Amino acid sequence: MKFTTKEEVLQYAEKRREICEKIKEIIVEQLCLDIEPAFITDDQPLFGRGLELDSIDALELAVGIYNEFSVTVSDGESEVFSSVNTIADYVMENMDEDGDDLDFG
Amino acid sequence: MKPIEAKYIYRLLPHKYPFLLIDRVVKLDPGKSAVGIKNVTINEPYFTGHFPGEPIVPGVLIVESLAQLTAVMYCTGAFPEDTNWDDMDSLDIDYAAIADKVGYLVDIRNMKFKRIVRPGDSMELRVRKKAQFANLMQIQVEALVDGQVAVEGTLSVSEKI
Repeated sequence: MKFTTKEEVLQYAEKRREICEKIKEIIVEQLCLDIEPAFITDDQPLFGRGLELDSIDALELAVGIYNEFSVTVSDGESEVFSSVNTIADYVMENMDEDGDDLDFG
Repeated sequence: MKPIEAKYIYRLLPHKYPFLLIDRVVKLDPGKSAVGIKNVTINEPYFTGHFPGEPIVPGVLIVESLAQLTAVMYCTGAFPEDTNWDDMDSLDIDYAAIADKVGYLVDIRNMKFKRIVRPGDSMELRVRKKAQFANLMQIQVEALVDGQVAVEGTLSVSEKI
């Protein structure tokens, strides 16, 4: 990712923050967790210790991420689900170039 | 395609009496989707207790029928692409190895039971693969009676590796 102006950097940071928040919402909604999305921190491990998700949740999460961002996580890439940050990285890397059209509604 | 009759389903699935809960597969897109039939008669053993004087098919068994159709859908996905489904007698297939691949039901989600199913009803079961991750698959399912949705929801199943 290359930036030429400070504005672009800020835009990028803002978009990433929005995506992180959306991911937390997806985690809570899709997995029917009884917590506030804000309770999940960006680097918290999602599986094992941490949020204690399991492989069935991973499938559900992959579906939620596809529905929201049209990004497919393939079988060999389960490390994508390590934390909210790793998911956000993956989403931003694989989203359509004109990802500005993302509907956060 | 010709329907896949019960005798072949019997070979494909590890399920046997009294728990083989699909009678016929009428449409099949191997690995992707399937439509099957389960007919209900008053002779089903569970009507003795569910309920005395008011026979109703237990919802969980309809879910099981849908899960079994899902198993047919995904284990046929392992067949060669040029498989002739109209001539199953002459297929050179190791059925035992296929039945061995059938995994387990791992998740039931958003299941709605919208209509009571009774003896004499014919259920049209429909399953469609929505997503896959690792050895898990998520499937959109529904069961229709007389064109009306009786059961709908989402299942996830595992594949034995």
